Amino acid sequence: MQFTAKTKVLIHGIAEPLAATHSILMKAYGTQVVAGVSPGLGGSERDGIPVYDLVEVAMKEVGPIDAAVIFVKPYLVLDAALEAIAAGIRRLAIVTEGMPPMDMVKLIRKADATETLVIGPSSPGLIIPGEILLGTHPAEFYTPGSVGLISRCGTLTYEIALSLTEAGLGQSIGVSIGGDGILGSSFAQWLQILDEDDRTEVIVIVGEIGGSGEEAAAEYVAEAIDKPVIAYVAGRHVPKGRRLGHAGAIAANLSHKTEKKLKQAGKTALFDLDIGTAEHKIEAFKNAGIPVAERPSEISKLVKKALK
Amino acid sequence: MVVEWWNTNRQMDLLEYQAKELFRETGIPVLPSQKIRCPQDLKGLKIPYPIVLKSQVRAGGRGKAGGIRFATNTIDAIAAAQAIFNLPIQGELPDVLLAEAKYNASQEFYLAILLDRTARRPVLLGSPYGGVEVTFTQDKMQRVVVDEEFSPFYARRLALKMGLTGEAIEAVSTVIKRMYRLFVQQDLDLVEINPLGIRHNGEVMALDGKVTVNNEALNRHHHLTRLLQERNLEEPVYSGVFPSHDFVELDGKLGILCNGAGLTMATFDLVCEAKGKPANFLNLGSEQTWYGMDDDPLERLRLGLEAVTTSPNVSVVLVNLIAGVTLCQDIARTLVEFSEQIDRPCKWIVRLVGGDVVAAEKTLKQANLTSVKSLDEAVSLAVKAV
Repeated sequence: MQFTAKTKVLIHGIAEPLAATHSILMKAYGTQVVAGVSPGLGGSERDGIPVYDLVEVAMKEVGPIDAAVIFVKPYLVLDAALEAIAAGIRRLAIVTEGMPPMDMVKLIRKADATETLVIGPSSPGLIIPGEILLGTHPAEFYTPGSVGLISRCGTLTYEIALSLTEAGLGQSIGVSIGGDGILGSSFAQWLQILDEDDRTEVIVIVGEIGGSGEEAAAEYVAEAIDKPVIAYVAGRHVPKGRRLGHAGAIAANLSHKTEKKLKQAGKTALFDLDIGTAEHKIEAFKNAGIPVAERPSEISKLVKKALK
Repeated sequence: MVVEWWNTNRQMDLLEYQAKELFRETGIPVLPSQKIRCPQDLKGLKIPYPIVLKSQVRAGGRGKAGGIRFATNTIDAIAAAQAIFNLPIQGELPDVLLAEAKYNASQEFYLAILLDRTARRPVLLGSPYGGVEVTFTQDKMQRVVVDEEFSPFYARRLALKMGLTGEAIEAVSTVIKRMYRLFVQQDLDLVEINPLGIRHNGEVMALDGKVTVNNEALNRHHHLTRLLQERNLEEPVYSGVFPSHDFVELDGKLGILCNGAGLTMATFDLVCEAKGKPANFLNLGSEQTWYGMDDDPLERLRLGLEAVTTSPNVSVVLVNLIAGVTLCQDIARTLVEFSEQIDRPCKWIVRLVGGDVVAAEKTLKQANLTSVKSLDEAVSLAVKAV
C-alpha cells in the first residue's frame, strides 16, 4: 500500500477554513501532518503544524514529504498541485470541489509524466482505518478490517462504511475518487492498487450515474482481478438527462433502449462519456460476474457471502 | 442537429449569433450577418438577398421545427420573421433572429471539440457527413485524442481520417486549430460547427455553431458571463440558493433532503423502489462543498428545509443527513425549530448519523419528530406516512 502510518503529509492551503478543521482531525487520527503551506504565512504555526510559503521550503525544513492534501480555492488547485509535484511529492489528494476541467487535463498530463497518483478533485481523500486519514472522511464510521471500499461520493462512502462496520466488517481502505467530471485516478487504477494490497480481501465499488468509469472497472475486474468484487450503483431512478450535484453525475439522455438498438445494429455509441445510465453500469458489472447490491444495506450481506 | 443528448446543461449554451461572434474573433470564417430584434429591423438590412433567417433559441432541430427560413426580398423576409418570432421551439421563443447571407456549399462537414472523461483529454471529432443528418456512431464519426499539448498535426490527423485530400486538408485543419484555441482559451465544454460548408475551391464557412461554456471556469471569463446574461435577462444563470442540479422538483408528496450527491441519489432510489412518490429531492452539498463554505451549514440547512417544503403538495419530509464536522445536536435543533415554525402540518422522518447522535435523537423525539437509525427503516416509514 502506498499509504501507511509512516506517510508524511503536507496540507496545501492550510489557512483555508476547511483545512483548519480537518488538519486537526487528521493529526488527531495519528496522521503525520508535518507541514502546511500558505503563501504569506511562512514562519507561523497552525495547531502545532509549521507553515511555509512554498512546498520546497517546507521540504528543506522538515525533510522528505510523501503526500499533499490540497484545500486551496478551485482556480489555484492546478498551481498548488504542480508546485507539489515539482518539489518531488508523488501522492496528491485534492479536496477542493469544482476545479476547471482543462486545469485538470494539464495536471493529469504532468502526473502521468511523473508517475504521480492524484485523488480527486472534489474528494474526501482516503482513510486506512487505524493508520492514516488523508482528507476529510469522518473517522468514526470506519474500523480496521479487510474490505476495500472505492467510491465517487463522500457521504455515500461514509454510509456504506458505517453499514459495513455495523455488520462487523472492517475496512482496509475507504477512498473516494471524486465527484468532478475529469478525475485524477480511476476506479480501475484503485482496483489494481487494492488487488496488490495484502490486507484487502474483498473490494466494494460504489458507482453512480454519469461517465463510464464503472464500465471500465467491470471490464478490468473480469480481466485482471482475482479478489471478489461487490458493486452498488446510485441513481437508477433519477430523471434522465439531468446533472445531479456532482459535475460527473450526468444521466445521459441516450436511453438504455437506444443503446440496445445501436448495439443490435452492430454500432457503438461514439462517446464513452455518454453511456452513464445506472442500468448500463449494473449490466456491465453483472456481465463481469460481479454481484450488484440493490441497496446500500445489502452490500454487507454480499461481502459476507463473498468471504465465505 | 447538435449533440443534445449528452450535453444536458442548456443554461450554459451560447446562442448561435454569440458563438459566431467568438468564431469571428478567433478567425473562423463565418458569413456576414445581422441581428434582428423585430421584423421592422429587416428594412435596414445591410446584407444582400437571398438571406437565411434563423430563430435564436438554444433548442436543437430548429430547421425541422420551422425556425430557419429563406427569403429573397424584404416582404418575404418580414413575413418569415413574424412567423419565426411567434414559433416556440421546444417551449422556447426567440428574442432575436439572425439574418445571414445564403451560402451554397458543395459539401457539409461536422466538427467538434470536447473533453472525453474516460480519455481525460480533449478530443477532436469530425465527420464528412455533417448537417441535419449527422450521426454519432463510430462508423460515421472520426475521433482524435489530444494526448499531449496541442499541435496542428492533431488537426491534420483528423482531416485525413475524415477522408479529406488536397487543399481541403489545410482549410479544414486551420478551422480545427482555431476551434481548439477557442476551446482552451475560454475553458469551454464544447465547440461545435455543424455544418461546416465547403466549396469546390476549398473555401470553408461555419454555417452553424454551438459553444457550451464551462460552469466551473466561468469566473475567470467575465466576457462569457456577460454573454450568458445578455440572453438570460429574466432568468439568472443560477436561480435560487440551490443550483438546479441540486434541487429537483417532481409531483409526489414526499420531500427528500440529503447531503452529498451520491447519498441523495441512493436515498431517492430507495424511495422509488418502495413505491414512494417524491415531491422533490434536494442535495444540501457535502461539507467540503466549496460554495457552501462562506455560509453557515445550519443556515444552509434552514434554506434547504424551506425549499423542500415550499410546495403545498409536500406532506411528509424525509431527512437523511450524515454529519462529519457539524454537530448532530445542532442539526436536530434546527430541524425542530423549523418544524415548529412552518405554518402547515408536515410529518418528519429524520435519519441522522454522526458524532453526538444520541443527544440529537432525544431532542428530535421530544419535539415529536420521528427519528430512526437505519436508512431502510426511515425510507419505509416515510413512504407509509404519505
